[in-house]
Amino acid sequence: MAVSAAAKVQEVREITRIERIGAHSHIRGLGLDDSLEARHVSQGMVGQVAARRAAGIVLQMVRDGRIAGRAVLLAGQPGTGKTAIATGLAQALGHDTPFTSMAGSEIYSLEMSKTEALIQAIRKSIGVRIKEESEIIEGEVVEVQIERPASGVGTKVGKLILKSTDMETVYDLGGKMIDSILKEKVQSGDVITIDKATGKISRLGRSFTRARDYDATGQQTRFVQCPEGELQKRKEVVHTVTLHEIDVINSRTHGFLALFSGDTGEIKPEVREQINGKVAEWREEGKAEIIPGVLFIDEVHMLDIECFSYLNRALENEMSPIVIMATNRGITRIRGTNYQSPHGIPLDLLDRMIIVPTVPYDEKELKEILSIRCEEEDVQLEDKALEILTKICTETSLRYAIQLITTAGLIARKRKAPEVGIEDVKKAYMLFYDESRSIQYLTDYQKQFMFDHGDDAASMDTT
Amino acid sequence: MIDWLTILKNAKKTCIQQGNLRKVHFLLPDGREMVEEYNMETGVVTRRAWKVKTNVGGEGEWHIEVGDPEPTFKTEDILIKENSSQPFVSRRITRKNLEWRIRNLPYSIDVYSVTVDPESRHLIVRTSNRKYFKILNIPELERLNLLAEQNRIQMFHKFNTLVINYEKPKQLIDFEKALFDEVKTIKACKEGDMDCKPS
Repeated sequence: MAVSAAAKVQEVREITRIERIGAHSHIRGLGLDDSLEARHVSQGMVGQVAARRAAGIVLQMVRDGRIAGRAVLLAGQPGTGKTAIATGLAQALGHDTPFTSMAGSEIYSLEMSKTEALIQAIRKSIGVRIKEESEIIEGEVVEVQIERPASGVGTKVGKLILKSTDMETVYDLGGKMIDSILKEKVQSGDVITIDKATGKISRLGRSFTRARDYDATGQQTRFVQCPEGELQKRKEVVHTVTLHEIDVINSRTHGFLALFSGDTGEIKPEVREQINGKVAEWREEGKAEIIPGVLFIDEVHMLDIECFSYLNRALENEMSPIVIMATNRGITRIRGTNYQSPHGIPLDLLDRMIIVPTVPYDEKELKEILSIRCEEEDVQLEDKALEILTKICTETSLRYAIQLITTAGLIARKRKAPEVGIEDVKKAYMLFYDESRSIQYLTDYQKQFMFDHGDDAASMDTT
Repeated sequence: MIDWLTILKNAKKTCIQQGNLRKVHFLLPDGREMVEEYNMETGVVTRRAWKVKTNVGGEGEWHIEVGDPEPTFKTEDILIKENSSQPFVSRRITRKNLEWRIRNLPYSIDVYSVTVDPESRHLIVRTSNRKYFKILNIPELERLNLLAEQNRIQMFHKFNTLVINYEKPKQLIDFEKALFDEVKTIKACKEGDMDCKPS
């Protein structure tokens, strides 16, 4: 009894670990119809019709894959859905198109130069579809055993028993494989294939022999025959690798030196040159297909002048992806110089971009977004409370109001109420300050704080 | 089609002698690489390995065709592999026979059946309790374009191991002899020899 309860707790923890709610996890696409016209509320996206329509056209451009090295700038105030549009675009592109998301400040590292980080990001956004002979394990799951160490920390041990009509084999599972088996919710009776090299699991269906416990399965469950013959087969599969992955495979040091080199760090330009040549050759022979993807650089004003001038050059390469950038800055200093420029981006780069503006949401849209977030966070809100929250939203900011959903939800749960009422929102509003009230508080009580500069604070440099 | 012996004769060969073992590296005209290890006293191949290259590039791994497999140290980044208690096949070549040893097979001899598929030159190992199934190919026969024959097969079971013997046909014995004569003529460098004189 105790054992089964413990197992249940473990299971719940496992699921919550996988399905955490992020700032943009309610977004499932761009919310466009077939003619790329934006629906007002769809796939978690609300309003911002013009910007989404523009993103839809960019999506079409990426899917066609003919245009290389275009840059798109999403510009708008904080909290107007720039990152949401980029996330939606990534969702709409699907699994097979590479989408790399990075923040402008990510390129600063002691391990590699700024341009190297940029090249790697660019090459991560170009996919190559290539046929490769691969070892495939195909069979019916007899049993999945995953054991955690009693202490709760350390590596998990996993075993998987698979069978075909002619044989049965026990496999040991590595940590990554255990995670993906848990994620795919593989259970006994499933017929699955596993790519031995990449560890990719695909579920073919349920075995016919398990057809009698059909009421435990969903309606769309497919029933398939148990595979015959050997469990392990060699099959030709098409998979997508990014140019960066090919770079890494070909630049790894061999022999005993490989023991000492952890990460690959910088990759030699000669290796890249050689790989570009090889990929071009494959493409001509029809062996491979190039899938240009999308590189999304958030907070692009954090790049400095060297990166911008490098981008100028990189975008001219025919192997470069579509680069989408987002910024919330107005006319400001370009990092690394003393020059002012719109969005903190040099004019020559701005000239090469198409700029998509995002506009502040109106009250109706804010309400819509708040109710979508409530659903995502599983918080029931009274109509009155939603109205109050929308009011708060227009007066403070969207992000603050979204924070209040979670906190007010917790307050309501404390008093065991099924729905969040006005009092809960009020209480949360009083407990947690928004930005403007915090500033008000500071100006009121600044004398009592340490290291206070008094009146100088007003002229503080906030860049 | 050029026969296998000519291909091997035309291959670029590098050779090293260690005791009574002679290791020969063949670089075939089509870019494939093979390494054979000969016991110079018996003239029998003790190990043979092929380099398997992927399309994406990289160094590639050695696939052991005959002889004991290389020990592997990679344990951290394994995704999925057979449990060590599961059956595995290793191959040997003796003077008269091609030999397969399938270890970790605990069932008694009457469970197994080995049939030959002459066209595809495969040995098919089946178990009547449906616990093990394996298709073994015979690369030696494939290379010489010989057909496989059922009556050349013998098998026995001992110490949890199923041993399958396939008696070599005359053509194969002749080919191996010719190749061994060729191997004997290659100039081998001794272990410790260097290409250049260090100062």
